[in-house]
Amino acid sequence: MVPTPSLGQTELMDFSIPEELTALRASFAAFLEREVRPLDESLQTEYWSEHPDREVIHDAAQRIRLRSAQEGFYAAYLPEEVGGQGLSTLGTALLVEDAARTGMRLALAAISPPNPAGPSPLLLRLPTHVRDAWLPALVSAEKSMCFALTEPEAGSDAQAIRTTAVKDGDGWRINGHKHYITNAEHADVAIVFAVTDAEKRAAGGITAFLVPSDQFRRGSVQYTHADSHPAELFFDDAWVADDHVIGEVGTGFFTAMEFLNAGRAHIGAQALGLAEYCLDIAIAHAQSRTAFGKPIGKFQSVSFPLADSKADIEAMRWLVYHLAWEVDRGDNPMLDASIVKYYCTEKAYTVADRALQTLGGMGLLREGPVERVLRHLRMLRVVEGSTSIQQLVISRGLGL
Amino acid sequence: MKIVVCIKQVPDSWADKKLSPEDSTLDRASVDRVLNELDEYAVEAALQLTEAHGGDVTVLTMGPEDAAEALRRALSMGADAGIHLIDDGLSGTDAVGTSYALAQVLQSREFDLVIFGSESTDARMSVVPAMVAERLSLPQLTFAGKVEVDGGTVRIQRVTDYGYDEVEASTPALVSVVEKINEPRYPSFKGIMAAKKKPVEKLTLADAGIDASQVGLAQAWSAVDSFAARPPREKGTIVEDGGDGGAKIAEFLSTQKFI
Repeated sequence: MVPTPSLGQTELMDFSIPEELTALRASFAAFLEREVRPLDESLQTEYWSEHPDREVIHDAAQRIRLRSAQEGFYAAYLPEEVGGQGLSTLGTALLVEDAARTGMRLALAAISPPNPAGPSPLLLRLPTHVRDAWLPALVSAEKSMCFALTEPEAGSDAQAIRTTAVKDGDGWRINGHKHYITNAEHADVAIVFAVTDAEKRAAGGITAFLVPSDQFRRGSVQYTHADSHPAELFFDDAWVADDHVIGEVGTGFFTAMEFLNAGRAHIGAQALGLAEYCLDIAIAHAQSRTAFGKPIGKFQSVSFPLADSKADIEAMRWLVYHLAWEVDRGDNPMLDASIVKYYCTEKAYTVADRALQTLGGMGLLREGPVERVLRHLRMLRVVEGSTSIQQLVISRGLGL
Repeated sequence: MKIVVCIKQVPDSWADKKLSPEDSTLDRASVDRVLNELDEYAVEAALQLTEAHGGDVTVLTMGPEDAAEALRRALSMGADAGIHLIDDGLSGTDAVGTSYALAQVLQSREFDLVIFGSESTDARMSVVPAMVAERLSLPQLTFAGKVEVDGGTVRIQRVTDYGYDEVEASTPALVSVVEKINEPRYPSFKGIMAAKKKPVEKLTLADAGIDASQVGLAQAWSAVDSFAARPPREKGTIVEDGGDGGAKIAEFLSTQKFI
């Protein structure tokens, strides 16, 4: 986005959504309704079943990814030179929000961010020939990837990773064990963080590598209470050439940080969309369900929590849009990014919980409209920098 | 090849529509407006033909200022240029007048094909394509479920109740399409940005050489004398089964002349 014109010392504030993004949302909404909804509805009983057929669901999500990529939505956020559409962070956030707001599980497959299976912008920091060898198939969703940072002894304290990369000829020899890696089960290639200088660690001693799947071994799938199940990865003398270093040797964390703010906006947008979906469901129920002779929405114990949800959602919305706008302007809004990740995931969970309470018994049912979303939102409070880590970043921003 | 696609902005099919008390025409301001769904298929058919054979696609619409949104959508799908016939004198024009106005615009243009969606979701008459063909003395290949061009010949499969007919004609010709013909593409961000730079020619009645006495609400061949809102749904009859439920239902159905 273009910076707004100035009036003296005061910069004008413009909260309008650019018309091209409104047109894009309409186009994406048509895609979601025409192509994703019929498929998603056909899988409802599979989602609820005691033992869902994960391959059937995975195949359906893959169909959506391929179609969305064909239509230019899936990786629109990447630059045109690598097959994207040059869509802004704000535009991407709006599509993520809209996908989430449908409440459809498969809708979240239609747009890559914040899902690590899609092409990471970190790949833009690879030498051109390596980037171009991998990105087209990731942009078209024929291949997928994963982001391998977390280890059994290094979660929030990511610089404590033990995976090592040692120089070996004209490449690097990697050894280590990663876990909780989303899409590790299917990834064709991984971005792997490894220690290249044990002394420096986070300050120049950790490097990001692009590692094809023939160089790693998949471990156990780690079943969670949510729909997404990560897995372990093992690197036993894996070898990659020098040109598979992402960015520069020792700059792994710094390179990842470049794209972290946009990623936080996308996670915030997903939480926002899911919260809006939950509130929509709760309102519809509060209006149609009667008890004691009137719609339950006429009882303050039902309506006031939903009023709180509406206020929470509007606060989330403008935090997310503002962060996206800052990123598009070229700022480095680290503090705002942490506030968005923290506030939106926490509040969205509360909004979903209120919706579940409004629905009563139906809210508890797996075949109900909210239970699955609540589980997903619970996960979002943990992954991609837990709430506590965001609070830590925010408190440091306060000088504490 | 040069293709002109005639498109229309219509109220969203899912919207609750009402008539305007002023002139008894559809109140378009109170509902969301979209590109007529079948026109998306027409645009897609045109784009596929020019992608295969070269050429360009122009989209033509007639309507008020807002109809520019329908043009923009077609341009963002990939059409090359737009023509917007816009004039207060066109308000309330019926199918006969519309076919006259569109034919007046088309007759001064060079084209190999004119493509229409086979009907609009608001009027649902399916007559404008045939009327335009007649006015321009063009062969009319209507209700196409498939269209192919081979040199100066256009061939369609006309979808019928019993299957399809194969119909062919020499170009220039007019084709109307049904939804079976393709899967319209969704405008991408690149397409939306490119559409902003594409030319849209605005024409008034005078620009297009349209006789104002042939169009507009006053010239429509039918008029709405009066209208009333649909009455609210009446409460249903609940039959309580005290052992004689079957007989009571039979009696009810008999009273209503169902049996």
